[in-house]
Amino acid sequence: MDEKIFAKKDIGKLLEELVPEYKFYAPTKIKGNIAFKEITDVKEIELDYLNSKVPPKDVLFPQKEIIFEYKYEGKDVIIEERKDLEDKILIFGVRPCDAYSFKLLEDFFASGDFQDDIFLKKRENATIIGLGCNTPRQSCFCTSVGGHPFQKESTDVYLSDLGDIFLVEAISDKGKSLVKKLTWLSDAKKADVDKAKDLAKQAEESITTKFNFDLVTKVLDENFEHPVWQEISESCIGCSSCTFLCPTCTCFDVIDENDEYNNRGRRIRIWDTCQSCLYTLETSGHNPRPAKIQRCRNRIMHKFSYYPSNYDCLGCVGCGRCITACPVNNELRLIIDKILEIEEKSGEKVSA
Amino acid sequence: MVKSMGLETENKEIENNLREIARGLLKEKKVDVIIGYMEGTLPLLSQPIIIDSEEDVEKLIWNNLCYVNLAKYLVPRVPKFVNPEKGNLTVGVISKGCVGRGLIHLASENKINLDEIKIIGIPCNGVVNRQRIEMEIGEKEILEVSVFGDNIIVKGKDFEREFPYDEYMNDLCKTCKIRKPPLVSKSLDLCVGECEEYSNIVDDFSDISEFEALTPEEKWNQITEELSVCTRCYACREACPMCYCNLCFVDQNKPVWFGKTTDLPDVFVYHLIRAMHMAGRCVACGACSLVCPMGIDLNKINRKLEKIVKERFDFTSGLDPDVLPPMVDFKLEDAQEFALEED
Ligand code: SF4
Ligand code: SF4
Ligand code: SF4
Ligand code: SF4
Ligand code: SF4
Repeated sequence: MDEKIFAKKDIGKLLEELVPEYKFYAPTKIKGNIAFKEITDVKEIELDYLNSKVPPKDVLFPQKEIIFEYKYEGKDVIIEERKDLEDKILIFGVRPCDAYSFKLLEDFFASGDFQDDIFLKKRENATIIGLGCNTPRQSCFCTSVGGHPFQKESTDVYLSDLGDIFLVEAISDKGKSLVKKLTWLSDAKKADVDKAKDLAKQAEESITTKFNFDLVTKVLDENFEHPVWQEISESCIGCSSCTFLCPTCTCFDVIDENDEYNNRGRRIRIWDTCQSCLYTLETSGHNPRPAKIQRCRNRIMHKFSYYPSNYDCLGCVGCGRCITACPVNNELRLIIDKILEIEEKSGEKVSA
Repeated sequence: MVKSMGLETENKEIENNLREIARGLLKEKKVDVIIGYMEGTLPLLSQPIIIDSEEDVEKLIWNNLCYVNLAKYLVPRVPKFVNPEKGNLTVGVISKGCVGRGLIHLASENKINLDEIKIIGIPCNGVVNRQRIEMEIGEKEILEVSVFGDNIIVKGKDFEREFPYDEYMNDLCKTCKIRKPPLVSKSLDLCVGECEEYSNIVDDFSDISEFEALTPEEKWNQITEELSVCTRCYACREACPMCYCNLCFVDQNKPVWFGKTTDLPDVFVYHLIRAMHMAGRCVACGACSLVCPMGIDLNKINRKLEKIVKERFDFTSGLDPDVLPPMVDFKLEDAQEFALEED
């Protein structure tokens, strides 16, 4: 059998073996929140978690990223390129929705004439160890966006949590050579593989939030100016939680920080969000998205209309973070319901 | 706090009363719209709503998850309650103490016109510290939260836990002395529900004495540890009724005033300067902490500020629209020990 297993208590062995080669990222608890951080001590790893608060996107596309540093030498400016981009990265325990988000991020960062070298280099050097979701939450809807709580796409190695052991499947070539190197893994039994299949089925059945996104996209495309956007944006306080915690949001701002006392500086990028008043603010002072109504609409249109037309897929992986994070409960399920209501109402009109 | 009845009964009573008042106001056309809370679709939260018809009154609720400060919806940044024909609308606001204070304080800063507002006062019995509950439950999905008797009952797929409400209440609610909106003597028809006249607020601030007793280094460590997970989403600012600037200092970009990264110095400077801007203005609603997606607790900073302002200026925010807040005002007798003496 190709599948392997290892005992959860042997996670330290895995870490020890891989740390010399990789920057090893795994879920850990920081101030009560699960986050993906670089791990050096096995005690930091948290294996019992639903999903991380901030998505693992943060490893490849962090909130703050140095693009390059520079220094002045006389009249010259010397650019210092980053040297750490060749480092090999391993991200352990990525949930299927978040693993799939890496594909969407790649679509964005590699599209058109502009190739984002930093992201793409990191992505190329990253090995993703996925982990199936035994217990999806009420807010999860990966099955509506073409995903699944046990989906293996975009992972290199895929794990299923069987209680005391992990079932290990090598998915990509990268994953296969990694698994081959871990000679201490034992072979899985048929019962283990069957158990994983059962868990996958149970997980799928437990998902209650379901959408018909084909219809959503169609309605969105036809209703850019609909009064429903007023209603949708009414209670939004523009707090950005829905975008800052979203695994597929890619907006960023570029800033130069000059350290004149030391004759040097750095160019960085930080996350930006369409919910902010500075987003798309032009130098003239004009802002094409001056109020919440345009900002809320932009988020929804971007995920469910612009992504389908630009990349032929939805810009959402169904992780539900925006559902649980919105402090005023202006959550995606309610927004989608309101959008679909437009269609229902126009249907009524036609038949009446 | 001794409760005469279970929380659920108390809440039902508050809810019934506020609905009755809301219905009356809409019926008699004394207001055009009412802002209130409705049941949330997830546990541990509620949903702010804006209604304009009597039939929607049934959607209004009160429970201990109504943590958003509704005064935020009236700040002038985005004028929302304007009708092209009628002009400014009259807005009824379901107001716990800190919402009422928020509105009154905004009026003292000339940001809203109280003539266009009705404060629907309710005797608030506090809100749940939702982040603390979430942290204690940890990595299990919470499916249902209710309050019953003296407890918060939290249920999930295979667990049920009770938390004593008095302890798991939002920290600022524990020390709140202004549970009903303040009565404004000059405009007695401003308040249509339960409001109260407050003269001098007495507060011993004993809740922060422990923090105050720490060494500067310990304080630094505690605060920087708290802020270390901040993502600078600014949800705290966006939820705060006192953060109404068109362009926040931290967003200034021509030129950039402050570093924008999540490096500790930058995060710290954001919170430090925001705290300065809150002195004598914060109305102790706790919304900033309760909306933080990372569960950062800003309450201690707010309490300390409140104490400083109380001791130096004998001022409590949001009590009287005609009293200028200390940071807006100047008095000759204000202590200025930082200034050099002339000789
Ligand atoms: S839009 Fe919401 S559900 Fe979709 S990927 Fe982003 S946070 Fe997750
Ligand atoms: S435009 Fe908004 S929704 Fe789209 S990626 Fe940017 S922040 Fe996210
Ligand atoms: S999380 Fe909610 S309130 Fe915050 S910006 Fe998103 S929709 Fe608006
Ligand atoms: S809401 Fe929380 S994470 Fe966001 S800026 Fe404020 S303290 Fe930081
Ligand atoms: S600083 Fe926090 S507690 Fe004070 S008024 Fe603003 S949101 Fe409320």
